[in-house]
Amino acid sequence: MLLFAVRRLASAVLVLFAISVLVFLIFFATPGVDPAARIAGRNADPATLAQVRHSFGLDRPIPIRYALMMRHLFISRDLESFVNRGAKVIPQIVQATPVTLSLVLGAAVIWVLFAVLMGTVAAWRRGTVADPLIMLAGVVGISLPVYWLGEVVNLITQSRLHGSVFSWVPPLGYVSLTDDPGQWALHLLFPWLTLAVLYAGIYARLLRSELVANLNEDYVRTARAKGISERRILIRHALRCSLIPIVSLFGLDFGALVGGAALLTEVVFGLPGVGKLTYDALQTVDLPMIMATVIYAAFFVVLANAVVDVLYARLDPRARHA
Amino acid sequence: MSAGPWRIAAGHLARNRAAMAGVAVFVVIALACLAAPLYAEHVAHTDPFRSNVSGTTVVDGRTVQVLAPSSTGLGLGVTPIGPTWDPGHYFLGADNQGRDVLARLLYGGRNSLFIGLISALLCCLIATAVGVLAGYAGGPVDALLSRTLDVVWSIPVYLLAICLSVILLTSGLRLGPITISAGSLWVPILIIAVVYVPYVARPVRGQVVALRNRDYIQAAIGTGASDVRVMRRDVLPNILPTAIVFVPIMMALDMLTESALSFLSVGVQPPDASWGTIINDGLGLLYTRPAVTIAPGLCIAATAVALNVLGDGVRDALDPGAR
Amino acid sequence: MARKALPGIALITTSLILAGCSGSSSTPATSASGSTAGFQSQHKGGTLKLLAKSAAGSLDPQVNYTLQYWQLYQAMYDGLMAFKKVDGQASFTPVPDLAEAAPQVSDGGKTYVFKLRQGIKFSTGAALTTDDVVASFERIFKVSSPTAGTFYNGIVGADACLTKPATCSLAKGVVGDATAGTVTIHLTAPDSEFLYKLAVPHASILPKGSPAKDAGTTPLPTTGPYMVASYDPNRELKMVRNPNFSEWSHDAEPQAYPDEIDESFGLTVEAEVTAVQNGQADWVFDPPPADRLNELGTTYASQVHVNPLTAFWYLALNTNLAPFNNEAARQAISWAVDRAAVVRLYGGTNLAQPACTILPPGLPGHVDSCAYTAGGGATWSAPDLAKAKQLVQQSGTAGQEVGVVVQDDTVNKAMGEYLQSVLNEIGYQATLKPLSADIQFTYIQNTKNKVQLSLTSWYQDYPAASDFINVLLSCASFHPGSDSSINISGFCDKGIDGQIQQALTLARTDPQAADKLWGQIDQAIMAKAPVVPLINPKLVDFTSKRVGNYQFSKQFYMLVSQLWVQ
Repeated sequence: MLLFAVRRLASAVLVLFAISVLVFLIFFATPGVDPAARIAGRNADPATLAQVRHSFGLDRPIPIRYALMMRHLFISRDLESFVNRGAKVIPQIVQATPVTLSLVLGAAVIWVLFAVLMGTVAAWRRGTVADPLIMLAGVVGISLPVYWLGEVVNLITQSRLHGSVFSWVPPLGYVSLTDDPGQWALHLLFPWLTLAVLYAGIYARLLRSELVANLNEDYVRTARAKGISERRILIRHALRCSLIPIVSLFGLDFGALVGGAALLTEVVFGLPGVGKLTYDALQTVDLPMIMATVIYAAFFVVLANAVVDVLYARLDPRARHA
Repeated sequence: MSAGPWRIAAGHLARNRAAMAGVAVFVVIALACLAAPLYAEHVAHTDPFRSNVSGTTVVDGRTVQVLAPSSTGLGLGVTPIGPTWDPGHYFLGADNQGRDVLARLLYGGRNSLFIGLISALLCCLIATAVGVLAGYAGGPVDALLSRTLDVVWSIPVYLLAICLSVILLTSGLRLGPITISAGSLWVPILIIAVVYVPYVARPVRGQVVALRNRDYIQAAIGTGASDVRVMRRDVLPNILPTAIVFVPIMMALDMLTESALSFLSVGVQPPDASWGTIINDGLGLLYTRPAVTIAPGLCIAATAVALNVLGDGVRDALDPGAR
Repeated sequence: MARKALPGIALITTSLILAGCSGSSSTPATSASGSTAGFQSQHKGGTLKLLAKSAAGSLDPQVNYTLQYWQLYQAMYDGLMAFKKVDGQASFTPVPDLAEAAPQVSDGGKTYVFKLRQGIKFSTGAALTTDDVVASFERIFKVSSPTAGTFYNGIVGADACLTKPATCSLAKGVVGDATAGTVTIHLTAPDSEFLYKLAVPHASILPKGSPAKDAGTTPLPTTGPYMVASYDPNRELKMVRNPNFSEWSHDAEPQAYPDEIDESFGLTVEAEVTAVQNGQADWVFDPPPADRLNELGTTYASQVHVNPLTAFWYLALNTNLAPFNNEAARQAISWAVDRAAVVRLYGGTNLAQPACTILPPGLPGHVDSCAYTAGGGATWSAPDLAKAKQLVQQSGTAGQEVGVVVQDDTVNKAMGEYLQSVLNEIGYQATLKPLSADIQFTYIQNTKNKVQLSLTSWYQDYPAASDFINVLLSCASFHPGSDSSINISGFCDKGIDGQIQQALTLARTDPQAADKLWGQIDQAIMAKAPVVPLINPKLVDFTSKRVGNYQFSKQFYMLVSQLWVQ
C-alpha cells in the first residue's frame, strides 16, 4: 500500500514537471510573445530594450530561464509578473483561491442536492412520465453553454428585470465571506446556480443509471423478498452503493474546478478567482502568471486523481496492480 | 462483432423514440444550416460576410439606418437595427457590422457543426489508436502513452485549449508538410480533438487490457498470429462499440467547447462565424440587442440536447445492460 | 505617449468606445467654477472612489508609462516642471513646479539652470535637496525608464548611462549646487521640447537612495498632496493626504479636495458603470461599453463629460512589403476607407471625428487638409471607391493577399472586419488576424512578423508635432527586427527626414515657423500615404452624481485631486 502511494506520488510529480516544461516551451516558442518590449514600454530605444531584456534574464539560454523561473516559483517563491512589474505571482493566487473555493463549494452543495433528488426520484418513478422528464431536464443542463447561461442570467437580473423582480440582486463582483457573509452569499447566488446546472445534469444522469443497475442486483432482490419497502430499499441500500462511483467522480470534478475549470463562470460573473486570474494572464500573455496558475490547476487535478486512486486501491486491492 | 449484433443495435436504436426525436431535431438544424447560402442569396438578399456599416433598409415603409447613431441626449453610441421578424431582411436584427444575424446564424451553424463533427471523429480515432496501442503493447509503450495522457488530463480542458489557442492563433502551426494558417478552422478542430483524447483513450485502454488477458486472445497469440492480425480481428471489433458510443456525446461536448473558445475569442476567427463567435459579437450589444446573443445560444443548446439524447440511445442500443 | 502603452492599459485604447460631445469641458462654465475661484474649503474632505478594470502595473513613476497612473501621479509626484493643472487648452503649458521659476537657458539652449523652491518636503518628512534631483535623473537610467533613451538621451553623459545603467553617473550632465540651491542641466544639443520632457512623470523627483531598480508595487515617497498608503494590483490603490504637503503653486500643484482617493480594480466595465450609476463609486477609468452609451448620453447626460483628445487611430501600411511598397496601392487604401464607418464603429459622431492628417486638431502645427476625400476639400467627406479600385489596378497589386492585424477587443475587431470587407471590395484578398491587445502592439512593430497592414493608435506624450511626426515616421524610429520599432510603416524618406531635422532645429528659435513647417511635412507625408489616419477619438468621463468641479487637462485628463465629493 505504501509502495503504491509512493509510486503514485512520483508519477504525479513527473506529470507536474512535464506540464511546466510544456507550458514554458509553447510560450517561448511563439513569435510575438517576447515580453521585453512590452515591459520596456512604448517606443523604448534599443539600448533600453537590451537592458530590460538583460535585467529580466530574457537574454539567457532557454534551459536556464526555465530553471530560474522554477527557482523563483518554488524555492524563493518571489516570481514576479511580467505585466504588473513587482506584483508577486504567488500571493495573487493565494488571494484568488478563497473566491474560487467559495464559488465551487457553494455550487457543489447545490448540484449534489439537486442531483441526488433528481436521480433518486427518476429511478424511483421509473416507468412513469416523471423519469424521462427529469432526465430531459438533466440533458438540457449539460447542453447549455455555461458562459451563455451566465450572460443571460446577467441580462435578466442586472438589466431587464433589475427594476422589478430582481432589484435585490447586487452588482457583479465578489464580497469576502469574512467581510459580510450575507453579501457574500448574495453575490455568489447566481454564479452558484449557473455553475451547478451543468453538474446537476451530469450527476443526476449518472446516479439514476447506477441506481437502476443496483436495483437489478441480487441483494436488492433478496431485500425485496424479505418484504422491505421499496422506498427503504432505494434509499438505504441502492442509493448507498450507487454513491461510490459518484463520490470518485466528484473528487475529480472538484479538483478540476478548484484548479480553474470554473474559468468561464468566473469571467462571466466578474469573480476574481483563479480561473479569472488565469484568463487575464492568458490575455496579456503574462508567462510567470500562466505558469503558476497552470501548475496550480494541474496540482489540484493530480491531487484529486491520486486521492481517488489511493482510496480505490484501499477499497479494492486489485486496483494496485492494474 | 459480426453484422448481426450491429443490425440488432440499429433496430434497437430505430425503436427508441427519444433517440429518433434527437436525430430529427439534429437533421432539421443541419439542413437549415446547409441551406444558408440559399437563404442569404434568395430570401434575405444579403452577404453575411460583408460589413454594412453605413447601409440602410426599409422597415414598415420607412427607410432606416442599419446602424443607427443615438439621436437623443448627448447622442452617444450606435445601435444596430433590432429584429424585424420579417424573413426578407434582418429577421433577427443586425450585428455591430450591420450584417444580418439570421444569415450569419445559419452560416455559423455550418462551422459549429463541422467543427463538432470532425473533432469528435478525430478525437475518437486518435483515442482508439492510442488506447489500443497502449493497452495491447503494455510495458514501456503503455507507460509512455499513459503518462502523456496523464499530462493532458491534468490540465483543465478549457485552460489547455485556451493556452494552445493563444499560441496557434498567433503563429499558426507547421507539422511537417502540413501548414495550418492562424485563422483556419483546423486550429480549433485540432485543439478540441486533442484535449479530449484522454477521456476516450483511458476507457479504451482499460478495455483492451482486460481483453488481452482473455483466454481466446491469449490463445490467438499463442498460435502465432501476428499482433496486427490479433488487433484487427479480435481487439478492434470489441473496442469499436465503446468508441462509437462516444461519438455523439463528444460531438455535443466539442460544439460546446468550440463555442466557449470562440466566446473567449480564441476559437473561430472573423470573418468566419460560428455560434460561439456570434454570441461573442452579441455581448457588446447585450443590453440593447439581446437577440444577437440569445439566438445562437439556443441553437447550441438545441443541437447539444439532440446529440446527447441520440448518444444515450446509441449507448443503450450497443450495450443493453446499461439501461 | 503611451496613453495605453503597457498591457494593462491597452484596455483603454481598446475600449475607447466612448468619448463624446464636442469639447464640453472647455465651456466657460466649467472652467469658471474651478481654477478662477481659488480653493473652496467647504468642499474639502471625503473619499473619492475610482474604478478601473485592472491595475496598470508598476507604481514606480519613473517606470510606469500608462495614462491610468500618469493621471494619478499628477496629484502625487512633481518634477522640476509641470503641466499647468487647469481645465482646457492652458493645460498644455509647462510651468515651474519644484523649480522656483522657469530656468535660465544659456549656451545656445544647451544649459538650463533651475533654482529649487525652498521648504518642500517629501512625504517621509525629509527635505527636498539638489542631491535628490541629481539622483532622480540618474535613476531614470538605472531603472531603464521607457523613455530614458528617447527623452533624456540628450543629457551630457546619458550615452554611457544607457549602455551601463548600473554605474550611471551624470556628473557632467546634471550638476547640483547645494549652497545656491540650484541644479544645472547640460545637454549635448539644444532641445526645444526639453521642458515638456521634464514635466512628465518619468522626470519626477524622488528621494536619493530610492532603489536603483523598478520599485514595482512598493510606493515611493511623494512631494504632492497625496501619497500612496497601499497598492495591490488585484485589489486597490489607496492614496491618502501627504501630511508634509502645503501648496506652493496653484498652477503646478494645487491643494487637493478629497481626503482620500481609492482606485479599485477587478470589476467588469459593465459592473463599473452600474456602480457609478448607483452612486457606489464616483468614476470609471475604462471606456463605457457600447451598449451602455445611449443610456449614459440620455438618462445620465448631466454626469457625462466628453472631451476631444490629441490622438489619432490609424492604419500603418508596411512600406517595405508588397503590396504596400507601392505608393499607388497605399493611396488606394487612403481613398477607400470610409472614415464615417470607422467613426460609427467607434460609437458615433459625438465620440470621434474623421481624421485626414497625422497631427490631430488642437495640436500645434495641425492644419485642416484632406488629400483623400471624394470631392476634395479640407476635411473628409466621403470615400472614393472607384478611384481606389482604379489605383489598385494601376499599381498591378490587384488580387494579392493582405493580412490585417488588429487587437481583439470589440471595437478594434469590428474595425478590422470592416477593413477586411473594404480591402476585398477594392480587389485584394484580405485575411484578418485579431491578436490580444498586449501582443498586437509589439507584434506589428517587428519586421520579422511581416505584417502588411495594422490598425493602431497614438496618444500624445506632450503637445508637440514632433511627438507624432518625428516619433512615428522618422528613419531613426525604424529598427528592423526589433519589437520596439515605433515607425510601424517602416517609412524612411531622406527628403522628409531632412525636413524633420529642419523643423526640430527651427523650433528652438522660431516655434511658430516650426509649427508651420510641421504642418507642411504632415501633408508631404500624407501624399506618400505610409499611414492612413482614421479618426481622432474623444474621451468620455462618467462621474457619479455627487462629484463636482470637473476639470479636464488636455495633457493628463480629468484632474482627480480637484473633484469635489462633498
